[in-house]
Amino acid sequence: MKRFETWHIFLLAGLLALVVLFYKGLWGDPTALPPVIISKPAPDITAPALLEAKNISLKAHLGKVVVLNFWASWCLECKEEHRFLLAIQKRFENNPDFVMYGVNYQDQEKLAKEYLQIHGNNFEHMVDEKGKISIDYGVYGVPETFVIDRKGIIRHKQIGPVFGDVYSNIVENVIEPLLNEPA
Amino acid sequence: MAQSKFFILIVFFFVMSVAMAQAMDEDLLQEKTKEVSKTLRCAVCQSESIWESNATLAIQMRDIIRERLIEGESPDEIRAYFISRYGDYIVFKPRFRGINILLWGGPFLLLAIGAFFLHRNLRKWTTQSTQTGPEHLNPIDEKQRKRIEAELRSLK
Repeated sequence: MKRFETWHIFLLAGLLALVVLFYKGLWGDPTALPPVIISKPAPDITAPALLEAKNISLKAHLGKVVVLNFWASWCLECKEEHRFLLAIQKRFENNPDFVMYGVNYQDQEKLAKEYLQIHGNNFEHMVDEKGKISIDYGVYGVPETFVIDRKGIIRHKQIGPVFGDVYSNIVENVIEPLLNEPA
Repeated sequence: MAQSKFFILIVFFFVMSVAMAQAMDEDLLQEKTKEVSKTLRCAVCQSESIWESNATLAIQMRDIIRERLIEGESPDEIRAYFISRYGDYIVFKPRFRGINILLWGGPFLLLAIGAFFLHRNLRKWTTQSTQTGPEHLNPIDEKQRKRIEAELRSLK
């Protein structure tokens, strides 16, 4: 019987690596989307406020921890997470280094205002005109939530609603540690 | 009177040429928007480019491509912008970098391995067949030799 040559071993190793790669791919989530924007500077935003006649600028909040939540009145999951967003704002509202904004996405102004009247509101919202803000943040759909650190770097992206364990994780493992970081 | 007619004619031709130039610019812009849009995946659809899709996000992305083209950005710069926001997923044609190299180079690598084996085996077979000359044949006895010679003579 012939003995193994070096190239046999390399070939087997290569084929094995391919099998492992494909096997790993089989168990991956095909709907998972790569959050490439994490650890990158948050794109600047200047957008009209939803409830007041003024512009909101993100640049003005450099040095603070910013939470951006993309939502729409037609989005069912947004309704589910809304009370958790109110809870986040309530929890940190006395911290001067914290600010939270809602970004109204692909919506009608009238319906968005009605939504906030019905479900309650304790933070400011801006209007994403022509989808520029959401595309700048690589948003696929709503709800999506971003946490930006004091240096203006995106540190967390949550695709899907913030409730239950996700809420606890964002509050305890993302926002609080970022607020505790030196300015 | 003749002078005023001449003046109207000049104004008419001027307006027409401006309108035609604008229409040509618009066609070119539309063509470029289509070219870039066709290379980008609609993030909320199934295997559709943002040119083919009517989803709001796709329409908004097309508008952004158009705006950026007007601002003078090249198609590659526009694609780079979308990749920086959505990752490689957003382009139909993966970039030649990182794990993507395996995608691009994999088929050629497998082809090279196949060619190597084919070459190796063909060489082995041809070497074996050239070695199958008269000296490698089993010796025949006297009776067989005479019979073969007789058969060859009968062929003449």
